[in-house]
Amino acid sequence: MVLTKFVEVGRVVKINYGPQEGRLATIVEILNDKRVLIDGPTTGVQRQVIPIRRLTLTKFNLKGATRGARTGVITKAIKKSDPFAQYAQTLAAKKVAKKVLRAKLNDFDRFRVMILRKRRSALLSTQLKTLKKSTGGKAQAQAKGGNKKK
Amino acid sequence: MPAKKRTVRIGNWYKSDDEKVHFIRKRKAPRPSKLRKIVPGQVLILLSGRFQGKRVVFLKQLKSGLLLVTGPFKINGVPLKRVNSAYVIPTSTKVDVSGVNATQIEDDYFKRTQAQRRKNEQGFWAKRGELTAEQQATEKTRLEGKRNTQKSVDAALITAIKKTQLLKQYLGARFTIGKTTRPHELVF
Repeated sequence: MVLTKFVEVGRVVKINYGPQEGRLATIVEILNDKRVLIDGPTTGVQRQVIPIRRLTLTKFNLKGATRGARTGVITKAIKKSDPFAQYAQTLAAKKVAKKVLRAKLNDFDRFRVMILRKRRSALLSTQLKTLKKSTGGKAQAQAKGGNKKK
Repeated sequence: MPAKKRTVRIGNWYKSDDEKVHFIRKRKAPRPSKLRKIVPGQVLILLSGRFQGKRVVFLKQLKSGLLLVTGPFKINGVPLKRVNSAYVIPTSTKVDVSGVNATQIEDDYFKRTQAQRRKNEQGFWAKRGELTAEQQATEKTRLEGKRNTQKSVDAALITAIKKTQLLKQYLGARFTIGKTTRPHELVF
């Protein structure tokens, strides 16, 4: 398999260990084979040295980040092309966002989700039945309609 | 060195050995417990008793410290009821109770009457006929009155509840814990 994600200046990384767990930053400088300097002025990550072991590399790069660039330069580069927003569109990011949302649900919300899921599955099953009838059993049910909440 | 001598005052009157002195609490009026951020109109989950798991609407705190709640009765079968705040989980869902008038109801609303005590006295094999005709009549009017109070308190509540979608069904359902629920992680 060809390696595509490199530890390089401008690589967007996700911190997966420590007090900043879950936040994104960009690699600003590579210090040695084990440590890098990262900075995330728009994501609340202070400019810091961090072991690579604590990072997960994403497939995004910050365009315009030069080696050892100061926070101001990084912020300007982010304003031009925001890789963090692009990362938020990925499936992985969406899954995390879903988990966070689900943890915040209160008792009434949980009840509503349960009812809506039941309604959706009822709609799906009726759709599946009609499709099976019309095409003689070899149809694929499309995920149709219903109030899709989460 | 001589030890410091403690002088004991001997009074005129000693209680004899076999006379027990009962400890009397000096508090005369019941002190209502501090309400931990429970607001009128808030939905509570009852944790003990016949209605455990039921979601009810909190109306007010009574002078004894207990919480006055109601189902409403039509929605989940919980009548006007006193509940200890320790056996309750407050949820963050709130119902508009501005139209509800529960000022008349205090602790004496829940006091047991003579007729009720008589019924309980007789125990398992008690028959309704054991009450005198007069007592039966007063019981009937008392229950009639209770039903009316329940209806009048619940009327405004139910109209407020109907405004939010699925709130009526929510109050009608019981709160349950399954295999995978982690109560300590739940946000109420």
